[in-house]
Amino acid sequence: MRVLLVEDDNDMAQALRGSLEGDDHSVEWARDGEEGETKALGGAYDVIVLDRMLPKKHGTHVVRALRDRGVSTPVLILSALHDEDHRIEGLDAGANDYLGKPFSTRELLARVRALWHGRDPVAPQTKLAVGDLDMDLLGRTVHRAGKKIDLQPREFRLLEYLMRHAGQTVTRKMLLENVWDYHFDPQTNVIDVHISRLRSKIDKEYPGTLLHTVRGSGYRLEA
Amino acid sequence: MLAFVVALLVYMYIATAGQLTRDAATAADQEYAALERAYAEGGIRRLNQEVVERASRQGPFLYMLADANGELITGDFRRLPVTPGEAEQRVDFQFEREVGENEVDRGRALGRVGRLLGGPILLVARDLGDNAAIVQRITRVLYTVAILGLVLSVASGLLASGQAARRAEALSNTAHDVMAGDLSRRAPVRGAGDEFDALAEDMNAMLDRIERLVHTTRTAGDAIAHDLRSPLTRFQQRLESALDAPPDSEADRNALRKAVEEADKILAMFQAVLKVSRVETAANWRFEEVDVTALARELAEFYEPAAEEVGLSFKADIADGLTVMGEDGLVTQALSNLIENAFKYTPEGGRVEVRARAGGEHFIRVSVMDDGPGVPFEERERVTERFVRLESARSSQGVGLGLALVSAVARLHKGQLELNDGLGSGDRPGLDATLVLPRTAPQR
Repeated sequence: MRVLLVEDDNDMAQALRGSLEGDDHSVEWARDGEEGETKALGGAYDVIVLDRMLPKKHGTHVVRALRDRGVSTPVLILSALHDEDHRIEGLDAGANDYLGKPFSTRELLARVRALWHGRDPVAPQTKLAVGDLDMDLLGRTVHRAGKKIDLQPREFRLLEYLMRHAGQTVTRKMLLENVWDYHFDPQTNVIDVHISRLRSKIDKEYPGTLLHTVRGSGYRLEA
Repeated sequence: MLAFVVALLVYMYIATAGQLTRDAATAADQEYAALERAYAEGGIRRLNQEVVERASRQGPFLYMLADANGELITGDFRRLPVTPGEAEQRVDFQFEREVGENEVDRGRALGRVGRLLGGPILLVARDLGDNAAIVQRITRVLYTVAILGLVLSVASGLLASGQAARRAEALSNTAHDVMAGDLSRRAPVRGAGDEFDALAEDMNAMLDRIERLVHTTRTAGDAIAHDLRSPLTRFQQRLESALDAPPDSEADRNALRKAVEEADKILAMFQAVLKVSRVETAANWRFEEVDVTALARELAEFYEPAAEEVGLSFKADIADGLTVMGEDGLVTQALSNLIENAFKYTPEGGRVEVRARAGGEHFIRVSVMDDGPGVPFEERERVTERFVRLESARSSQGVGLGLALVSAVARLHKGQLELNDGLGSGDRPGLDATLVLPRTAPQR
């Protein structure tokens, strides 16, 4: 994956570049907002990772400019200011995801991959499938190996998100934000409990594990 | 002060004089009415008798009886001072009459004059002379009072300004001492209930807050250093183990993995500290209507599996239609902190309840109650400060910022956090942590 990284802090940029390259991406680096915009307009990138506070042109303005010019590359904004207002401002400007500092690198990597996988939504889906697990989005039903599974609404939403990101590592934070729209940091392992409930419904009595734990990062639904 | 006294005296003069005049007019009217009755009963002869008799009494009244043409029949005057019209009228005139040899009585009289049935003209007036004397006496008294008042007010003014200077100096001294470094000094409050006391009280409240903030900052620095020391040390140790172990070995991976865990914990600590600071700074928060009913119900549903997992019974009782003006994320975070605390400190088999209802017309109360050990009464103030953890909590994880954030969020929303006994009893009363927030009417 080709990633454009727009970051003015040298140390941060080197560290991020290292992590992204370690995750099999090729990284192009811009040091300020103007350079970032120019490169984004000129090159073909799969994902843009952009710091909000940039010299010469502010991160959110860069995103808005790119969107105005029809650049639809997914954008992840990194920011030291991640309260609700700035997050919404960033998303309104056209960014796809927003991560506050300090963040864990694994969080960043998981989100970058998620952005890439989600970039070209196919025609609106009515069904999702992973292995022998089938989800009917219209009927709101789930079957595995043909057998119906009873899920609570919140369990359904959780499974839907995992299925839409099948094969990708999904962090607890991503689940918290996307399945529940929560932006606080739970101190307890609440997400883990929800996952283990879901697991007991979709995995326990079936051969083959679909819902895997990725140590240190999160979860992945994969056949 | 002086202007007030003058105005008061003028008013009193006018009021007194006015009252006396009104009384005179009324008395004259009554006298006139009495004579009218006499005329009605006994005709002109009777009236004549009455007038003569009353005039001879030398009382305060002056009389005159004339025929229809105004020719004197009897009375104190030779001529009518005023020719009456058809109706009765008020008469107010200066008079002059002879009272004995070469003595002339002069003055002002106020009364009534009118034509009686059949033609005769009757005038009855009261001599205001003695009124004038009364008013003069009163006026003299008032002047004396005025002068005394003036003297007193000047004296007290001088006294007060001397006092004022001293009070101002006391406040200034306190400020200087504080600036020199003694944060415990407070301005003296004299108990006079005046502006100086009010100013001193405000100053003291301000100093209290500053002292608290400085204390918190100093403590925070210490607490952060203290709480960071262990994770940072472990972090360093893990990295060193990784260096010592053969590269890419199991030991190496393990050490690095653990190092990352410690780093995560440290970062989480900083996140929490930053969050509390941001809420306390109270700038840049955009408020809008928050549906607390929905928020609490969703959060309770979110946490319900976690409660079951740790063997706690969990119940939610949320009333409809609760809304506040605020920030959705912060209220969620605050409530979640309370719930997580309850889960953390309530032992297995215990109960946790989330309740949300109106608290009177103007507030809503969102409570998380448990039957755990609770918080002793004397610690309840302290426990909402940053980095405070009770001795009983030493063994568990956490940095002591949970309640500090909840408290800060409550204050930001112009509400407060109340801590009371919870669902337990005896020496394990449990905790009831209630967010009291001002409510709005739902705008739908």
